[in-house]
Amino acid sequence: MKTMSESQDQSRSRVSHGAMTPEESETPGLGTSIAVDNLEFAYGSKPALFDVSLAIPKGKVTAFIGPSGCGKSTLLRCFNRMNDLIEGTSITKGTIHISGVDINSPGVDVIELRKRVGMVFQKSNPFPKSIYENIVYGLRLQGIKNRKVLDEVVERSLRGSALWDEVKDRLDDSALGLSGGQMQRLCIARAIAVEPEIILMDEPCSALDPIATAKVEDLIAELKKQYTIVIVTHNMQQAGRCSDVTAFFYLGKLIEFDLTEKIFTNPSKQQTEDYITGRFG
Amino acid sequence: MSNGTANHIFASRLTPAKVREAVFRWALRIATYIVLAAATYIFVDIAWKGGREVLRTQFPFVNVSFLTEWPETLHIIKTRAGETLDLGDRAYRAYVEKNGEAEVTEHQTYVYAAGGIFPCIVGTVLLVTGSMTIAMVLGVMSAIYLSEYSNHGRAIQIIRLSIMNLAGVPSIVFGMFGYAFFVILFGWNVSLMAGWFTLAFMVLPIIITASEESLRAVPKGFREGSLALGATKWQTIRQNVLPYALPGILTSSVLGIARVAGETAPIMFTAAFVVRDELPWQVQKATDFFFNGVMALPYHIFVVSARVPQNEYTAKVQYAAAFVFLFLVMIIALASILLRIKVRGRYKW
Amino acid sequence: MTGGASPRGTGITTMDSDRLEHTRGIFRGPLLRLKDHLLMMASLTDRNLNMALQAFLNRDESKANLVESEDAVIDRLEMEIDELVVTYVSTHGPMATACRLAIMSSKMSECIESIADQAVSIARRARQLSNMPEAPVNLEIAKMAGLALAMMRESIIAFVEVDPEAARTLVARDKEVDRLNKVHEEALHEAMMADPSQIAACLHLLFISRSLERVGDYSKNLAQDVVYLYTAQDIRHDANMGGQSG
Repeated sequence: MKTMSESQDQSRSRVSHGAMTPEESETPGLGTSIAVDNLEFAYGSKPALFDVSLAIPKGKVTAFIGPSGCGKSTLLRCFNRMNDLIEGTSITKGTIHISGVDINSPGVDVIELRKRVGMVFQKSNPFPKSIYENIVYGLRLQGIKNRKVLDEVVERSLRGSALWDEVKDRLDDSALGLSGGQMQRLCIARAIAVEPEIILMDEPCSALDPIATAKVEDLIAELKKQYTIVIVTHNMQQAGRCSDVTAFFYLGKLIEFDLTEKIFTNPSKQQTEDYITGRFG
Repeated sequence: MSNGTANHIFASRLTPAKVREAVFRWALRIATYIVLAAATYIFVDIAWKGGREVLRTQFPFVNVSFLTEWPETLHIIKTRAGETLDLGDRAYRAYVEKNGEAEVTEHQTYVYAAGGIFPCIVGTVLLVTGSMTIAMVLGVMSAIYLSEYSNHGRAIQIIRLSIMNLAGVPSIVFGMFGYAFFVILFGWNVSLMAGWFTLAFMVLPIIITASEESLRAVPKGFREGSLALGATKWQTIRQNVLPYALPGILTSSVLGIARVAGETAPIMFTAAFVVRDELPWQVQKATDFFFNGVMALPYHIFVVSARVPQNEYTAKVQYAAAFVFLFLVMIIALASILLRIKVRGRYKW
Repeated sequence: MTGGASPRGTGITTMDSDRLEHTRGIFRGPLLRLKDHLLMMASLTDRNLNMALQAFLNRDESKANLVESEDAVIDRLEMEIDELVVTYVSTHGPMATACRLAIMSSKMSECIESIADQAVSIARRARQLSNMPEAPVNLEIAKMAGLALAMMRESIIAFVEVDPEAARTLVARDKEVDRLNKVHEEALHEAMMADPSQIAACLHLLFISRSLERVGDYSKNLAQDVVYLYTAQDIRHDANMGGQSG
């Protein structure tokens, strides 16, 4: 990780050169996780995304911000093709490449895609089963039955989502008995149990109190060491605290995409500044 | 500070809205009481008149012979000694054998007014279980397809509407359909199989509609969460949707059972015999179990009420049969309810 | 029927030792970086001021040159701290103590940079004086410098150790520095009037004394900033606490 002073040198030079894409300032060799090129998306006849192009960096936290209805959740759900579940939606133009593969091409098995691109939803949706069964659900889908393997995965995932100490004595209790913040961390544990490469989070903290939110944010900081994370959020401070790069969307268009510090201290576009300071939207 | 003389800003005031509230509350109450009264009258009537025949004051507290014997003709005879005897077929024959025909001065016979209804009970139980099984399997599978797999276009809307309309078709029409289709076209003749399928199709709309509602009541989040982990649609349904829709589906089965057990018209042409001497399983070939008709309670009640001359003796049989019938349906429904409670406890959400 | 407590707004919150103990725990992440930068800046400035004093006392030109070149690092640190503060405030939106800490860090770095500038000024004059014959005035520059340096050091220590009371007691010591400056001014006026050929040297000495008096003032500001940071009590412009003087 580069130091504050290095990034500050670059941000100072950026002031004179204008915004540059995050890949240019990345440590060489890390690469792009998700490449979106000229994407256009529509709900039936209503277009939702217009000519969106961006490169999500690997191993970093990317935040999508923007007012309601700007298309950020839509784009997120394109990454694991959850929009396929809604009728009439289609990608009218453009491509999304993950690890070099066009995920909408005919040869792609959406089941395999979803094993590698996990998702945590806004309204936490633990299954009404035991905590143990929630976590191993994804593994059981793949036919893994070995009890020892499952036990290990449960412990690893719960430790990874900072929940182990709180629930290790009651793994067989119903997941619905947990508090809101614990439920969301359980959903995160469930997602990482299948060891995806990318984790998508759709406003994961919007229903949580500040302490639960803080715990989830600490978790995100830990998780980014192993996974690429894309998080949609309404909460400015969350985007500022957690993310390395931020993308600002408005009315289906990508307005600005840059290092988080840059966007929050000196955005290139007036629209971005207006949104962040609360002057519209 | 007293609250009695309330003249502050929150004081209670009579408004048109409040009057309307009181009026409607009472109207709703009264409507419910009317329904309750009607149901109570019917149940009490049957229970009283039927119970007199079926229940006994001493152990074993039921009229065992009524429940375990075949229907017989009632012989009312006056003996030369001046006695009036009610005898069933066998008892009459035994009496005549013992005392000779000459003893009998007056002799009246009433068909089906003696004996029991055992084969009817058996027949009804078989019809209900068989047709409900078929209906549940077909119905739930259709409901899953309609709710989860189909693409919610105009065509599916029309299909769904047609299924719901089927619930309004008179049961006699189902009987005729079953006759033409299963009895004649398939060549099954009047048989258990024909009865099963006819009844199943009759109750299918209820099962499908209620099951679809139950499936739809399962939160979308369960499906999304499962799919997001890389599950196929069937895996999601099987593990994360169906178990939680089960209580609702079982409730629909209770409604279905009540409907199936009580219908006479569909089985009149397709499955019911007025009388059959063997029990369904007393057959030579295994297939004969499926392809022979059975006796059934509702049909028996119909026969006793409409096909034979009415008198006080047939009235007794009718009420007793109706009472047993109600009891039977209650037990089968109770089984389903208990199953639902157990399932609901296990798959709580 | 009066209800319970109603909000009272202003009024000093007493910072008991538990509260201060808790405050010690906020130095994590970006705030820790901020503290480290300030410490670095303060120690470099301390060293520079010392070197400037040595350059004066020992008439050492090379030391004076070193002070000037080292000042660039201090200037850069001030810019880094300001950028850190803006980034932190806009991305994290801090509140309460964290907010006061961020804002006061900016002001404290300004104070320290001003002290460093005075050190450079002293060094330059020391360099000039080293090429002149010694002026016949008896001044207590070393003592004055010692007092001012001590004030700066102890303010920074109070900042690091979260000890606002120690900072509060510092503020009054500026009076002694001011008094010494006045003494020096009078002595130098006399010397200049007695021997006009010494005016150049005496002017340098006057400015050196003034610089040290400035250092005392900036150190007092540092102490006031530390008190505000940890107690939210603004003790500037308070006659009882020594106030702002010229």
